[in-house]
Amino acid sequence: MSNGEMAKNFKEHSVAEFFKKNKQMLGFSGKIRSLTTILHEYITNSLDACQEAKILPEIYVEINEIEKENDKYQIIVEDNGPGIPKSHIGKALGMMLSGTKFHRFIQQRGQQGIGAAGCTMFSMLTVGKPIKVVSGHNKKTIECEVSVDFKTNKPIIENEKENEGEFEGLKIEAQFGEVKYEKSNYGAYEYIRRTALANPYLKITFKDPSGQIEIFQRSTELLPPKPVEILPHPLGIGPHDLLEIAKVEKKYTKMSSFFQNRFSRFSASKVAELKEIIPDVDLNISPEKLGWQEAEKITSAFSKIKWIAPSPDGITPIGQELIEKSFINVLNPEMVEVTERKPKIYRGGIPFIVEVGIGYGGGIEAAGKKGEVMRFANRSPLLFDAGGCAITETIKSIDWKRYDLKNFEEEPIVIVVNISSVHIPYTSAGKQAISPEEEIVDEIKNAVMETCRTIQKHISSKKKEREMEGKRKAISRYIGQFSKDLTELSESSDSEKIKEILESMIGEKYGE
Amino acid sequence: MVNKMGKKIDIDEETALQRLKNLGKKMYIEVLSRESPTFNTPLRSKSNINYDASSECLKLGEKEERRTLLNVSQSRTFMQTVAIANKTKKFLDENLHTSIRGLYYQLKFSLGEDLDESLFEEQGESNALIEDLEASLKIKREDLHLTTDRKGVLAGPIKIRDVFAGDENIIDGEKQGRSGWMITSDVDNGMSFLDVRANYVLVVEKDALWQRLNEDKFWKKENCILITPKGQASRGTRRMIRKLADAGLPVYVFTDCDAWGWYIYWTIKTGSMNLAYLGRAFATPEARFLGVTMSDIEKFEFLQKLTIKAKDIDIKRAEEMLGYEWISKHKEWVIELKKVLKTGKKIEQDALQGQRLTFVGEYIQDKIKNKEWLP
Repeated sequence: MSNGEMAKNFKEHSVAEFFKKNKQMLGFSGKIRSLTTILHEYITNSLDACQEAKILPEIYVEINEIEKENDKYQIIVEDNGPGIPKSHIGKALGMMLSGTKFHRFIQQRGQQGIGAAGCTMFSMLTVGKPIKVVSGHNKKTIECEVSVDFKTNKPIIENEKENEGEFEGLKIEAQFGEVKYEKSNYGAYEYIRRTALANPYLKITFKDPSGQIEIFQRSTELLPPKPVEILPHPLGIGPHDLLEIAKVEKKYTKMSSFFQNRFSRFSASKVAELKEIIPDVDLNISPEKLGWQEAEKITSAFSKIKWIAPSPDGITPIGQELIEKSFINVLNPEMVEVTERKPKIYRGGIPFIVEVGIGYGGGIEAAGKKGEVMRFANRSPLLFDAGGCAITETIKSIDWKRYDLKNFEEEPIVIVVNISSVHIPYTSAGKQAISPEEEIVDEIKNAVMETCRTIQKHISSKKKEREMEGKRKAISRYIGQFSKDLTELSESSDSEKIKEILESMIGEKYGE
Repeated sequence: MVNKMGKKIDIDEETALQRLKNLGKKMYIEVLSRESPTFNTPLRSKSNINYDASSECLKLGEKEERRTLLNVSQSRTFMQTVAIANKTKKFLDENLHTSIRGLYYQLKFSLGEDLDESLFEEQGESNALIEDLEASLKIKREDLHLTTDRKGVLAGPIKIRDVFAGDENIIDGEKQGRSGWMITSDVDNGMSFLDVRANYVLVVEKDALWQRLNEDKFWKKENCILITPKGQASRGTRRMIRKLADAGLPVYVFTDCDAWGWYIYWTIKTGSMNLAYLGRAFATPEARFLGVTMSDIEKFEFLQKLTIKAKDIDIKRAEEMLGYEWISKHKEWVIELKKVLKTGKKIEQDALQGQRLTFVGEYIQDKIKNKEWLP
């Protein structure tokens, strides 16, 4: 099927039908998961917008029950970001697959999911109502209601009001059906908590349906650097990606110049190498006319060429120090150890960075958490499909006995793994599990083991110290009574002296 | 030796007091030399209980347990042991007595306002440690002024001087009427035999039979000391029997013809497992068993109709007794016990009154005269 045919087919389907058919793939499967997906879309949009605008993000999230028995909830998300200019509101919130991030090779959270417009559609499909938007941008406050025209995939804006105002930011108020709030490991609360953990510069306030408010304070005032847009490396793309990029390129008349300008490390000599491998493919055609078969041949030829490794500049990990701060801020463990690995490459061309943080005891113990693994991709929490995920699988393969953590699942331990990359290899369109690429698995394993080695020393000395302290306390409590009785029994006189000697002996034996 | 109240105290008490003080002094020196205080006590578990053939009673073996204050798993019991030692030392100093329950309440107090722990939480803890102290210091709890429940009763030609609570009384065993003299918890401290003119001691298991024989003035006719332990003999009664044997009197025991009755006999004779740590002081190996025996049932026709079916517990106890070397070394007893297992029968001592009430006395007299006893 040619590209043109695909586009035609797509238009013939109603957008609503497309959405319904692909609900699963878009993260709207299951009531609890759907609610998490909605929060994810709004919160990541806010974070990305603030990061681009260099604003320290402050997000308020509120979830209210409307009809609990019918699983209807109201969600309010408000941020202090740059807002959306009037002209862009419809496009950003009412048009599927039209986000600003599409086809940019940049490390952003919003790569996952379907964007806020998908949420608008979900709201319309489940409660039949438009979403309410308040956008404060350049001293102007715009209030309106946004919905989607299913036939044309065009946004509809109604009840628009425009005022002068100081409000800067975006507030979305929407109702949804077929969702459910639950304080579980997969729920909205956990999503927010983990988002706070992975984004130490974020202040997020959450009001749950019972009215309980929890504020996650930021642990740093330092915004992460604005992500650098880098050109895709030939090894990082498949035929699909190639087709999509080619489709939007109007600037280049020939494939050869398109390659050299739109990809990194693609020199004229590489174009020549490519020609040698696939002489039957005409690289003089316009990118717009590229077909599936050619795209397939080209990408498979890419893997036969020796490339200069891509630049890892586009990746911004959270950073060792900040993970540590954030860990203490959100989970307050007794010990925390963080490892940040150097950038590595998978599939021969895609750079990625693995960060691992391990927290033990303290607040983790108090919260009753045991052997918990928190997965992140570009700082976004992955809550679902843990089963097939490279992170979960790698951690399962660790021999905990080597680190004095025989019963990993019973220990008060939390392991945070964040994988940063411009292209995260997800196992499926649901984008909740990372595919077990050999290099990624190795990196996770090395990072976890490195962290374990360091924290193990702390844990075992702490355990021993605690054990000794326990013994010291256990014996010390009997010394007063014993000294008194022994003084009388031996008909000696100095009870305090006996006590002093015994206490110093206990100190010697069990440490002070 | 006088205590702090200025009262003269007995030899056993004096030994006890001295040993308590020595225990304290030993620990005090250990502390001054910066050593963890230690306490040794013989193991009282079954594996350390042996029958001692030369003294013919149950005794503890050589195995010892060594406890030290600075060992976490022992520190609490260590403190408790010393607390008991000190408390009983006070009892001796003040010349006051109490029960082991009284002692427990004396020591059941909080270790401190900030500590959610008492010196003793339950009586089981202090009971076991009292036995440890007795075994370790080789003294009886009665010497520490700890009283036990009285149970046995005595009558007969004996006079005992009882110095107690500042008074001195002479107990005349012949003037106790129908009730008899209740054997005290401690028959050593403050107690002494003035005059023992009896020919022998007769111990009958049941109070009912004792009353029957008392009414017949059996002790007067036979010039004997008539005791009933009212079942299993209490510490005081066992000690009393031992002391009477020490005074040169033969001891005869008369119980039901069943495993329980025989067990009462063997406890008097060799001591019990539970009190093995006290050894010969609570055992009377010289004791002889008069009856009722399985052979009596064969000998007296009227008894054959009065037997009862042995219960499971009787059979089990008989089997156990056959396994004890101090019982199975007597072939007479092996025969008796095997008869029980074979016939599955037993008979109560009361059955001897079946023909006429006074038969019991004659039966006993005949047995003693004809030396018809079991070892």
